[in-house]
Amino acid sequence: MSHDCGVIICDFLITDMPSSAVFASGTAKRTAEYQKKRAEEEPDFPRKNKRVKPPDHPLTASEWKSLKLTTPNPDRFDVRMMSSMLADGTDINVAKSLLAYVAMDTGTLSYELLLRYLTLCVGSGHHSEVFDMYDIMRSRFRTLDTGASSLFIKGFSRTERWKEALTILENIKRAITPSPRNYGDTIAGAVLHGDGDTAWALYAELMEKGLIPNQETWQALFQCGLSHQGHEDGLQSILLHMRDNQIYPEETLAKDIKAWFESLPEQKWIGSWSTVDPRGVCRSCQAELESIQLSREEYAQLKDRVMGDVIQGRDVFNKTTPEELESFKNFVKRKPAFDVVIDGLNVANIGIKGNQSQTLLEVVSELERQGLVILVLGRKHMQRPSRSWDRHDMSLVQQKAHCFFTDNISEDDPFLLYATLHSGNHCNFVSRDLMRDHKACLPDGATRRLFFKWQRGHQLVLSSYTPGKRVRFQRILSYDTIVQTHGGSWHIPYDENGAERCTYEVPQKWLCLTKAK
Amino acid sequence: MYHQTIEMMRFLTPPLLNELRRRLSLLSTVANKQLPLTCLLPPHHSAPLKRPLYTGATLRKDVPLPQSKEDQTEEKLDLDIWKSVMRFQVPAVEEEKQGGEEGGGGAAPSGPGGGVAGQEEVSPLEATRELVVMWRQAGKLVPEIMTDEELGILAEFQTKSSKKKYLKYLAIKEGHKNNHKQKQEKKKAERSERFLEDDRIRPGGVRGEEGELRNTFLLQFWGRSLDKLLGWRSAQAVVFGQPLVFDMSYEQQMTRREVENTVSQLMEVEGWNRRAPDPFHLHFCNLQPDGGYHRELVKRYGAEAWERLLITSTEQRHVDLFPRDDLVYLTADSPNVLRTFDNSKVYIVGSMVDRSIQSGLSLANAKRLKLNTARLPLDDFLQWETGAKNLTLDQMIRILLTLKESGRWEEALEHVPKRKHDGFYQEKPQQDRDRGSDKDRRFSGRTRGDTGFRAGDRERAFSRRASVLKSGDRAIRNGDREGDSDKEIRTGDRGDSDRAVRTGDRGDSDRAVRTGDRDGMEEERGSTSRHKDSVFSSRDTVAVRNGDKERGSTGRHKDSVFSSRDTVAVSKEAAGDAENRQNTQTTTRVRTSLKTKMEDRNSTAKSGKKLRKEE
Repeated sequence: MSHDCGVIICDFLITDMPSSAVFASGTAKRTAEYQKKRAEEEPDFPRKNKRVKPPDHPLTASEWKSLKLTTPNPDRFDVRMMSSMLADGTDINVAKSLLAYVAMDTGTLSYELLLRYLTLCVGSGHHSEVFDMYDIMRSRFRTLDTGASSLFIKGFSRTERWKEALTILENIKRAITPSPRNYGDTIAGAVLHGDGDTAWALYAELMEKGLIPNQETWQALFQCGLSHQGHEDGLQSILLHMRDNQIYPEETLAKDIKAWFESLPEQKWIGSWSTVDPRGVCRSCQAELESIQLSREEYAQLKDRVMGDVIQGRDVFNKTTPEELESFKNFVKRKPAFDVVIDGLNVANIGIKGNQSQTLLEVVSELERQGLVILVLGRKHMQRPSRSWDRHDMSLVQQKAHCFFTDNISEDDPFLLYATLHSGNHCNFVSRDLMRDHKACLPDGATRRLFFKWQRGHQLVLSSYTPGKRVRFQRILSYDTIVQTHGGSWHIPYDENGAERCTYEVPQKWLCLTKAK
Repeated sequence: MYHQTIEMMRFLTPPLLNELRRRLSLLSTVANKQLPLTCLLPPHHSAPLKRPLYTGATLRKDVPLPQSKEDQTEEKLDLDIWKSVMRFQVPAVEEEKQGGEEGGGGAAPSGPGGGVAGQEEVSPLEATRELVVMWRQAGKLVPEIMTDEELGILAEFQTKSSKKKYLKYLAIKEGHKNNHKQKQEKKKAERSERFLEDDRIRPGGVRGEEGELRNTFLLQFWGRSLDKLLGWRSAQAVVFGQPLVFDMSYEQQMTRREVENTVSQLMEVEGWNRRAPDPFHLHFCNLQPDGGYHRELVKRYGAEAWERLLITSTEQRHVDLFPRDDLVYLTADSPNVLRTFDNSKVYIVGSMVDRSIQSGLSLANAKRLKLNTARLPLDDFLQWETGAKNLTLDQMIRILLTLKESGRWEEALEHVPKRKHDGFYQEKPQQDRDRGSDKDRRFSGRTRGDTGFRAGDRERAFSRRASVLKSGDRAIRNGDREGDSDKEIRTGDRGDSDRAVRTGDRGDSDRAVRTGDRDGMEEERGSTSRHKDSVFSSRDTVAVRNGDKERGSTGRHKDSVFSSRDTVAVSKEAAGDAENRQNTQTTTRVRTSLKTKMEDRNSTAKSGKKLRKEE
């Protein structure tokens, strides 16, 4: 976790460690693991294992009986036994022998037990069993619950009786909106049996209901496109949907996308796995990717929304007061446009405790040396000299930068956003805060993504800070990580298998698709 | 071998399958019963003996292929016996199930949908009911009985998870209710048994027949009499009592369940207040007649009881009812700490339950109306580093009632749940605390000051309070400084020069205490006794006046107290040096506490663990 090699880009001293940048995928996971390792773990007391151990071969009724008698807690023995079979993935015959024993013993089987058995059947792909279960449960019970219905949909869609899954889906709709997985399973069933039209109709219905489709569903549709021609527009619209919603495909889906493009006749697509260099050029096809900078309209839109939704919010009194907001607006108006806005408290608290003002001063000095117009935002209590807020340091900060101190009970982040956005597209801000709470204040997904894009392009994050050494910032990527196309080419960032990405991180790997000349 | 032959027989005669199956199980139980005998042998001997069934199976696998296939089908038949069991039982069980369901449904008749039995025409409510029934069968946490109202609420939820959560909540609630009922019945049974026992031992003893009076010389104190007493007290509070406002303007911020919880807490609030020796005059402000609060209140109290309740509920805002300067909004997010409970102020508590934390809501409201805000001095008295500092409404009223009665924070904050903090700060002698070693900077820095809870002062204050309280004088209870100056004024009536001397005295002694100067302390003690005398004399006059003409005199008395308080303010300014210093100390103290708060906040990187309290 060291940051020693530095590269100067756009006037900032920046460490060249893209893998550890805050927005790079996996950083949060790594940090969490690192910290977990550091904090000496208390020995984990193994939880008392209350599960019953399923046998490894079918038992006779008498054997089941004796097993039941020997368990410490014979309560709900059958259901618990079936659950542990589920967890262990036991052979289906063992489960059958249990059912036979229970049926002979009590004369009937409970819904709960059957449901678990059904899960086992569907999980291990015993289709004929699923059919039998369907007949039994339909005749035995008036309706099926959502769990059983979902299982039957999943089970049926893999077989030649896949059309019955559609009826079950209709049944679910009477009580509840089916889950995206229900739709996904049905679509997969239709695709498997070559009925592309039904699959696409279901997909349209799924989208219409405002559900978020699973990646497996898309995978099924791309596979459908692979085996049957047509629906090119639909598949392209899926890619655009990913772009609009800032969704990144997983590696398996990316492979299917690649295969589908390459299978298109007479278009001669060539797909390759690629990465992007820091300047924003695809290492495979040398094409330049979209810039992280917002267009003029996007910027204006974002500015409006942030002003309205984040700073004022539903209740301006929640974060500040109208008077304070007004005085801040006037302050910003009076001053020249800033080049960089610093979240004073956030930056100051990066260093050692009790030395806050010095940390802040060092950061301000570094930026001032680069000849930037700086605004430092703080709270009023910072102005009162104390052990952590040295009078001398603070007066130096005020000489080097413009300062605005909010009331101690106001939130300072909204002011930071306002000042940065107000100063124009060139203005950056310094904070370690990921601004997720403010992002969440924005009402619609589109603005949220715009905000995230702007944030990635304008947020300077301090790398590890050691007092006395030169202050370094993490690199700001110059390109936007999003599904993008130029007619003749597609660039699709995807999640590697096994890479655990947090919502505010972006993937590092790309699928590059170009048309052969 | 014995088993095998039977199995072969069964295999050869499929139509007799069931019959033989039964016998087989019988036989296997016989085999089981033999097992104990075999167990007498060493374990490695018993193991092969236990096996025959399975070794038999492997043996059969050795025979030529076609037969082994048949064998497998035979085994499958064996395993699938439950299917035929289920199929054969279908009709009977179906009927039984329907019957059981209708019995279980109880309050909710299954209606025409039950007859149609899941055919095309099913109303959404019916579909929801079916869903609930099936979820119950699938072993989900679902209540046994649901009213139509609850079903309606359930049907309104959009997502599956919200439905599940609601059902879980209902199921848990039902469980509690049933447990309670069972417990009560058990108790009742025990009691009646005990009575029977009593009767057997001493027939016609102390306890007579049901409803008959106990033969005793003690007067029965009926619950009715207590109600009447408390009722009069509440009525008195409505006329003369200190107002306490509950701000009912948070309906928009709460879910339905949170509103229900709020109303439960409000009912407790009313109960605590009614039973208190000196109740508040409760005001439910901003109470919209068609809003959720009102609906719940009427539902829980019953329309009649709600109308009879001795509280003031109004649509008006608190700022329209009371002068703005008198209002103090109590909110956990306030930067100001409530040091002394002021009987002339009207405190406002926000009636809100936020299960998902919504910080700053009540502070925002107070800011909007430009009201004074304050939070309880929880950090000064309780070791309470992290964790939400929000309290429930009933805890809040108990704290306020105790405070009003005794003025002691230590006593009042006993009502804060023990689980939330690590106990009170240890009491220390005044001098130690005030010298303020760096170690307990935080503690001394906060408790020292104008509040009058300095150990030396306190005892005096309370002895005085105890004597004065009975006369019904409210102003004295305002806290020590107020009391002190009050006293000065009253004594001052007798001679201006006297007062001048006393104020000087007090300043001196204050300083003395703070510096820990022994001489000063002695001096103070001297002056204390003088103070005491004067207080007693003033009390005497009050008592006389009270005896005179009750209501009028109290009123007059109150007036005089209020006016005297005005003069207090003047005299306070005049008191000069000592007083000013105290003030500056107050402000810095607030700042320090705020600073530490800010630092905490920043260091936890806005992790959301903000110090807060929504009353």
